[in-house]
Amino acid sequence: MHVIKNGTIYPMTGDAPFVGDILVGDNGKIEAVGTDIPAPGAEVTDASGYAVIPGFVDAHSHIGGVFMESEDLNELTKPLTPEADSWYAIDPKSGQFDTAISCGITTSCLIPGSGNVVGGWGIVMKSGKGSVADRVIKHPACLKAATGINPKGVYSKKTQMPMTRMGIAFLLRDYLRQVKEYMEKKAAFEKDPSDPKKKPEFDLGLEHGIPVLEKKIPLKVHTYMHDMTTVVDIAREFDIMVTIDHAQGASDFYDDLTDEHVKGVVFGPISAGLFPGEGGKIDYECCKGLDDRGVLVTVMTDGPVTPENLLIYQAGEAVRKGMDPIRALGMITCNAAKLLDVSDRVGSIEAGKDADIQIYTALPTQYVAAELKMVMIDGKIAFNQDNRISCK
Amino acid sequence: MLIKNGRIHDGKGKIFKSDLRINEGIITEIAECLTPADGEECVDAAGLEILPGFIQTLSFWGINGSSTEIRPSSDDNDELSDPITPHLDVRYAFNGRAATIQQLGAFGLTTVGVTPTDNNLFGGTMAVFEVDGVNPYKMCLKPYAGMKASVCKKLKDSYGKRGVAPQTKMWIFSQLSEQLRLAAEYKTADQPSDGKEESKKEEGPGKPRDMKLEALRRVLSGELPLFVSIDNEQDALHVLEIVKPYRSEPYALKLIFCNGFGIGADASWLIEENIPLVIRSASMTMDDIAMELDLRGVASLAEKGLTVALSGVDSSFQIREDVLWLGISMMKQLKDESRVLPMMTSIPAKLLGVDDKTGSIEAGKRADIVLWSANPLETYEAQIITTYMGGKAIYRKGDELRCM
Repeated sequence: MHVIKNGTIYPMTGDAPFVGDILVGDNGKIEAVGTDIPAPGAEVTDASGYAVIPGFVDAHSHIGGVFMESEDLNELTKPLTPEADSWYAIDPKSGQFDTAISCGITTSCLIPGSGNVVGGWGIVMKSGKGSVADRVIKHPACLKAATGINPKGVYSKKTQMPMTRMGIAFLLRDYLRQVKEYMEKKAAFEKDPSDPKKKPEFDLGLEHGIPVLEKKIPLKVHTYMHDMTTVVDIAREFDIMVTIDHAQGASDFYDDLTDEHVKGVVFGPISAGLFPGEGGKIDYECCKGLDDRGVLVTVMTDGPVTPENLLIYQAGEAVRKGMDPIRALGMITCNAAKLLDVSDRVGSIEAGKDADIQIYTALPTQYVAAELKMVMIDGKIAFNQDNRISCK
Repeated sequence: MLIKNGRIHDGKGKIFKSDLRINEGIITEIAECLTPADGEECVDAAGLEILPGFIQTLSFWGINGSSTEIRPSSDDNDELSDPITPHLDVRYAFNGRAATIQQLGAFGLTTVGVTPTDNNLFGGTMAVFEVDGVNPYKMCLKPYAGMKASVCKKLKDSYGKRGVAPQTKMWIFSQLSEQLRLAAEYKTADQPSDGKEESKKEEGPGKPRDMKLEALRRVLSGELPLFVSIDNEQDALHVLEIVKPYRSEPYALKLIFCNGFGIGADASWLIEENIPLVIRSASMTMDDIAMELDLRGVASLAEKGLTVALSGVDSSFQIREDVLWLGISMMKQLKDESRVLPMMTSIPAKLLGVDDKTGSIEAGKRADIVLWSANPLETYEAQIITTYMGGKAIYRKGDELRCM
């Protein structure tokens, strides 16, 4: 048992912040949240004067799978690799997870890169110790896809389709069509198994698309600027859920992004000057714009492409563009958890949820000098900045 | 123009309430209760925080090339035909409109140092520019602000992989040493080695002029501060050893280290040797060297007296928020605005040799100032109300940000 006492708790459940205690059980779950919780015999962390918030959830990252000299998340031998699965690419012992923890990121959605039109399955897992199996909280979490200059850049060099956005849209649509037909054939055979010739041959790539067509997982699409209209058009056609990832230029397309097929927008990372084409609009005001319109919006690190501490800076820049600091905190906690369908486990501080908690000297989406003091994952202390937080 | 009732953060550590008079782009008066002259424009800055415009010491703003041209080609500050190009001048790479379109004023920047890349041992001379304008010469606050050098792994990546030198740090350091020696011994018909007219006769006509060595002579004399990019503390120690003979009479080489990756709390020799450090960020990189940036260590050195400036990435992906974000990172360490703001304003101005013109809010300086709704080194809620560059409003809250 562990009790975090007298901190200003931001529960991110819709309830306002309050000064209180969090009781963490030996099973790594939050047992109770309230004021003056009796906890005889529990370890005590004194958080008085500090902000206590949920661990951050990074909804788009490649840590553990992409390094400087080698990477395992871009299988660039053909533009459609739906059969690939991030699970097998992640090195759970990578130091990049330690960096993530030191920036308060306790959960990440780890996905294939954006070199392929369809890249494979993504996974949601915790930072911390243990194997991928120990730390996974959702698998498959999504099917990664990509539009625009990244797949174009890879295959233009090989004079292979897709060399154009036309080619990308065709390949993406054609893959989804094949999954749909595969599912129909499977269903027909299941209904009438009398003719074994009608049993469709097992196809792992198409199998991986089934949960997308069944709306059990979203298609997670690397998308900038006008490509988001292409993605929403295809989502409507196949009646699937999509998330729009990167999303620079989103403020030009609010009408499309409020479509029921858009599960949410994962904005960022905002760290480049303007450049022509996909870098032609950098609009972090869209975080507030989307939030005001009821769209689930979050920001991401794209780690290790940008360092993990950028998650908080980007939320901060959304605040500079008029977003309320607590709504901005929501972007990188409860919103990201909902967007990834893991809000039953993480993203908020309430009884029954995983004890993924961090303590700052002040609200980090408001005060720039707010310093991270402690990170807890599954009830265990994963980061401890100094002795102020003592675990007696 | 009069700006009344604002809270001034002067960029040198002082914070005070005062009025401010600007005449022809220059701050002429800072005093309480100034009264507007007849017809003088008066801005009420009550409740606002007035900071100097941020200065990015090392930047690539205004550089065209790989990502910005109709026909992609080399970045104009990246002359990879030769690792030793001290004779090149970055002014000729600077496109005023390419800098202006980035609207750096909307991010609190008013002045930028523009530099050759870290890919050459000697890249060429640096220059300082305003952030808004068209004509590079009208925007230029100072040409020849420094000589850009680098002993980074990037040199090996740029050349060694093509099968040409340098493939190793051995080459890099031996050439650093050799080029400086050649410059010290350089003599031509026009320029005797000691620079004295009477020696001319004695030494007689020398070799044909060597523009590289002539540029490096200006480094030895201290006219051009030597900004050397390093990957780690070892690099810094090697550089110091090599340039040491030129840091004292008859030479006056001024050494500044750039990047600062891998410099930690125990590198206090930098303070004893009085060598400033320009920090580059790791904001947009998958560079394992840049990830070694130890801000906690650098902050502790700064507390003990190390001169530190905060800059941005060495990459054609320039980041408009870099100086502010590094300031925010430094605030998390030092928690003292009076130490951090100078790293973004008056210290860069001093290192670039433009501290007589800008980098602080003082009478006689250019009106390169930013009115913020709150202190950006305190809260993310701080928004820019107006950015003045040389007294001219180049960004106002509500202005639409440009697109490409």
